[in-house]
Amino acid sequence: MIRVLLADDHSIVRAGLRRIIEESKDIEVIAEADDGRNAIKLAREKSPDVAVIDISMPGLDGLEVISQLKIYLPHLPIIILTMHEEEQYVVRAIEAGAMGYVTKRSAPEHIVKAIHQVMSGSRYLTAEASEALALRVAKGAGGRSSLDSLSNRELQVLRRLALGHTNHEIADAYGISSKTVDTYRLRLLKKLNLRNNAELSRFAMQNKLIET
Amino acid sequence: MKLRLILLILSSMAFVFASAGGYFYYTSFKEAAFREAESKTIIRLERINKNLSQLLSAYDKPVRILSGMQQLQEMLRNAGPETLTAANQILDHFKNSLQADVCYLMDNRGNTVASSNRDDPDSFVGQNFSFRPYFQMAIMGQAASYLALGTTSAKRGVYFSYPVYYYGKESPDGIVVIKGSIELIEREMGFASDEIVIVTDPNGVIFISNKSEWLYRTAWQISPETAAEITASRQFGEGPWDWVGLKDFEGEYIVDRSGKKYLHHDVEMDDYPGWRISHLLDMQTVSQKAFKPLVVFVRPIVLTFFFVMCMSVFMLYRQASLEIRQRKAAEEALRESDARYRSLYHNTPAMLHSINREGQVVSVSNYWSEMLGYSQDEVIGKNLTDIFTEDSKKYAEQKVFPQFFMDGYCTDIPYRIVKKNGQILDILLSAIADRDEKGEIIRTLAVSIDVTERNRAVEALRLAKEELSSYSKNLERQVSIRTREITNILKYTPDVVYVKDRDGRYVLVNSRFEELFGVSGEEIRGRTDYEIMSKAVADEFRKNDLRVLQEGKSMQVEERVSHNNEVHTYLSVKFPVYDEAGAVNGVCGISTDITAVKKAQDHLRRLSGGIMASQEKERTAIARELHDELGQVLTALRMDAVWMQERLKESDPKIVERALTMCDLIDKTIKDVRSIAIRLRPGVLDDLGLVDALEWLTSDFENRSGITCVFEHKDVPELNDTVSTAAYRICQEAMTNVARYAEAGRVSVVLRADKNILILSIRDDGKGFDTAALSEFEGVGIAGMRERAMLAGGNLEVISEKGKGCNVLFKVPIVPIRQDAGETV
Repeated sequence: MIRVLLADDHSIVRAGLRRIIEESKDIEVIAEADDGRNAIKLAREKSPDVAVIDISMPGLDGLEVISQLKIYLPHLPIIILTMHEEEQYVVRAIEAGAMGYVTKRSAPEHIVKAIHQVMSGSRYLTAEASEALALRVAKGAGGRSSLDSLSNRELQVLRRLALGHTNHEIADAYGISSKTVDTYRLRLLKKLNLRNNAELSRFAMQNKLIET
Repeated sequence: MKLRLILLILSSMAFVFASAGGYFYYTSFKEAAFREAESKTIIRLERINKNLSQLLSAYDKPVRILSGMQQLQEMLRNAGPETLTAANQILDHFKNSLQADVCYLMDNRGNTVASSNRDDPDSFVGQNFSFRPYFQMAIMGQAASYLALGTTSAKRGVYFSYPVYYYGKESPDGIVVIKGSIELIEREMGFASDEIVIVTDPNGVIFISNKSEWLYRTAWQISPETAAEITASRQFGEGPWDWVGLKDFEGEYIVDRSGKKYLHHDVEMDDYPGWRISHLLDMQTVSQKAFKPLVVFVRPIVLTFFFVMCMSVFMLYRQASLEIRQRKAAEEALRESDARYRSLYHNTPAMLHSINREGQVVSVSNYWSEMLGYSQDEVIGKNLTDIFTEDSKKYAEQKVFPQFFMDGYCTDIPYRIVKKNGQILDILLSAIADRDEKGEIIRTLAVSIDVTERNRAVEALRLAKEELSSYSKNLERQVSIRTREITNILKYTPDVVYVKDRDGRYVLVNSRFEELFGVSGEEIRGRTDYEIMSKAVADEFRKNDLRVLQEGKSMQVEERVSHNNEVHTYLSVKFPVYDEAGAVNGVCGISTDITAVKKAQDHLRRLSGGIMASQEKERTAIARELHDELGQVLTALRMDAVWMQERLKESDPKIVERALTMCDLIDKTIKDVRSIAIRLRPGVLDDLGLVDALEWLTSDFENRSGITCVFEHKDVPELNDTVSTAAYRICQEAMTNVARYAEAGRVSVVLRADKNILILSIRDDGKGFDTAALSEFEGVGIAGMRERAMLAGGNLEVISEKGKGCNVLFKVPIVPIRQDAGETV
């Protein structure tokens, strides 16, 4: 049985989550915290296998909680559960030490899988989250680079192209037209002084936009 | 001229009459003289005739005696030496005793046989004189006398011949001749020198005369035949018988060739038929003779009288001439003056006219006619007052005319005349009277001056003066009102008003100034700020004053002065004061105490900031409420829906479907709620800070607008909520503007810290705009950004140019973050 700590200031959310989690027969919610301090206290008392923590809580927020839990329970895998869908939170959560990141909206479909995955020792990220992370890593890596002159969308398109996605796939992913994607592609090639998608992939790899 | 002529004629007549008198006197005198001369001449002629006859007949008897001499008879009968000597003796004897020229004896053939001049070179002896008439007559037995020029002796002579008979013989043997000398006779005649006596033969040949040059010439003109006869007679030699030129003249006188007149009388000689003695008396001589006594006595008298008369005539004439000349000159002068007067009268550009006692126009000058339009014919003889206006007419007839005819003059009488074209002419009339010798006024000479224009001008001037006076009064009034107003304004205005000269010395201050600085206007005049304020303040004032003086334009500046240990802020409007020449000669300042306003402004600003902050706070709260509470509930709902769906997956597919629909609905609602919340206030800003918020904002902007947006940040420290919010909102507004107006392809947002200054730059590559010409609508956005920037303690710059994009720069000092910043999140 995987023992899980749920920390969320909204009881109905906790109840909803508990129901979803407990549908999975191998996961058990051993504690529920309604704020950050309680979460840390309960985590230290109950030693759960996985902690699912809301990022926005009164008192200590989720990120603080992660930081502190990392001190007390360095090996406790933490999954950040959040209402926020802005990728900035993902990056901050991962930076803080979270192993998984699930939005509340997608929680019913993903949380069980995420718990299992973090229990197995690997990260659980949605595609969007991993992308954001990749972009942030790539940008933050080597100070000022040729990536600095690229916008977020350009980086996104670059990364996806490097991953071998088709224009159509990229267009679908961002809700833009294939033609716009191609415009981005050409602009990227020109800006980065590259000749084709192969070189684009190599450039993305060199700049750690994609993991090898 | 006439007078001169008359004078001339008169003097001439006087002269003529005198002359005529003289002449008549003279002629009658002369007549008498002539008569006397004539009678004398006749007497004289008679005497000459008698004398001459006597002289010429002197040898008549002797020759008869001689012829009776025996010796001569003998001689002729018996010519021999004895007889000859006897004859010669006799001849000589006769010759000597008779004082004859020659006595000679001729034979009957005409040869001279004996002669008293036998020894002379021109001896007649042997000569034949038979051709002589005296021979022929004598030989015929008659005594003869003959006047002729001697052919041998070439001497004139009177030849007496007589035949010589021998006793008892009937026919003469010869003749004897005694030739008397005419020269002698002439001498004996004793002709007077003043007379000419000529003795002419029947043909007119002058034979004897006291005028020897006339001898052997004809007194009268003769025909050539007569001349030939004379020559043939050999009586007077060879001729040529030219005419001395005497002619009959009016029967009474004769004239010679030179025109000399002679009194002429002649008489036939007694013994020589046909021969005439003519007596010529030179008229001149006659006159002379006649007048000599007269001349001697009368001439001086006559001459003197004549001279005196001439002189007096001349003098009188001269005097008269002088008189005439003077009169003429006077007349000329008069005429000229008259002409001049006339010319002046007509040509003077003055209206001149004359009227007589009856008031009728006698004359008008050309200018008068010209001015009034009436021709001379139209007005002369008419009443002058006919062309006056009714008032003027009445005035003239009732007042002016009677007065004028009493005084004899009038001056500057104002009349109004109706011109021919109907216009009214204002005139000033001055007149003097023209009097006759009795002193009666016969006419006037009047000059009128057209004063219409002048009156008009005077009227206009008067009006102008009035207007000016009223204007100036009004002006004065206005000035006084304005002065009062300004004085009051200066006095009661809460503003401080002062005027300083170029050197900063006070010229004028208002009562507020006096009150504030505790000085009177008199005291402060001529002093500078340095004497009443601290040096720092005075320096500041002087600096501003100098700027106004230099730039010559007004400026607005805030100045701070302390009164009663309290700093007052003044908003001073300073402007240059110009002198009359337009040069800046001072500065005037109006300072308004805006301390209270400033306070109110600060208060307002704080209020505004507070409002904004509380608005943000409100928004934050609502956003959080929406996001966290509603969002969480919805999320929970969704979880339950999903759970339900999972639970009923096997049993009730309808409910599953329903649950799915619910999920979708909930998803959409969550999205909406999130969207609303994030628009109100992005949670990222509060949760993660400005950098993340801007990262999200730019990314979101890019996704929404399609405009490439690059965000860069560097060295951004932790910021307080106010600054973060301001920066975020500014960026949001700026990007909204870019999306709305810029037509940009790219936006670059840079956030960096530079020496404690946070700089946020939003730069686009759009079309840009003229910052000075922002529309109100566009401007509102910028004003809002500026307000936010100011409230955060920073400032906002908008740099843009048409076609060169826009750059919004927000700069704000970084203040150490407040401890409670986190708590508000």
